[in-house]
Amino acid sequence: MLNKKSDNDQNKKEIELRLPSKLGYEKVAMDTASSLARRMGFDGDRVESLKTAVSEAVTNAIEHGNQHDAAMKVVVLLTVHDDELVISVTDQGRQALQADRTQDVPNLPEILHQASLNPGADKGGWGIWFIRELMDEVEFTTAPSGGNQVRMVIHLEQP
Amino acid sequence: MAAPNVLVQGNGEMLEDELTVSTRQRDDVAIIDLVGDVTTFAEEKINSAYQEVTAQGAKQILLNFRQNDYINSAGIAILIGIVTEVNRNNQKLAVSGLSQHFQKIFRMVGLAQYADIYQDEDEAVAGFAK
Repeated sequence: MLNKKSDNDQNKKEIELRLPSKLGYEKVAMDTASSLARRMGFDGDRVESLKTAVSEAVTNAIEHGNQHDAAMKVVVLLTVHDDELVISVTDQGRQALQADRTQDVPNLPEILHQASLNPGADKGGWGIWFIRELMDEVEFTTAPSGGNQVRMVIHLEQP
Repeated sequence: MAAPNVLVQGNGEMLEDELTVSTRQRDDVAIIDLVGDVTTFAEEKINSAYQEVTAQGAKQILLNFRQNDYINSAGIAILIGIVTEVNRNNQKLAVSGLSQHFQKIFRMVGLAQYADIYQDEDEAVAGFAK
């Protein structure tokens, strides 16, 4: 269980995006997160990592959780604290994320080997791994609404 | 929980195709210029450009990235497909022009073992000549 900030944190600020499940809208979430992180003082490298993680989380929600149904929403909640930015991405759960998928570690030599045998072999599976590698804390859960939810935290390092 | 400060409700169309791909020759290197986002929408363009230079006999191929603010995991999967074909066709592949972040992503994935990473086109072309 991640160490969650209290809901009573007086200084926190929340921004919520409700996005259609259509590829391309993940960039709206990515740009919003980037803008917030820069205002908070994150350096360029951390902002780029955040952008990749947020885009992958929203893309997963669009493609898998909501199965590209544009009428279904992806909700992105960005919570700014003094010392960290918390982003939760929630889909409507048309397809549940298998728990073991959250621990996958893609292996490029194996992927290339499979692709050499079958050019149509899956070369993906990097998104969740990127999120885990690039964020300080990551938690995959089922939202109270029943959708898949990923909660990501990036800490602001004090100078 | 307090009400959110901003609510953005989207329901319109989104521009999907934000990549321009072109090919050219410099010395013995076939250069594929990739300007823009490399996502799932890039697959046909990138594969077509690769097939074009391969049909022309290219043995050294440079993927020259420019203004690539957004390369996602689907884009990485497309590039893995190119690596597969490069290996199959006994070609040599390099990449140039990636931002520091995407150079890090390429190294994380392991693509740097299959394609030399250069800062820019000049450096890459010189690297092929060595």
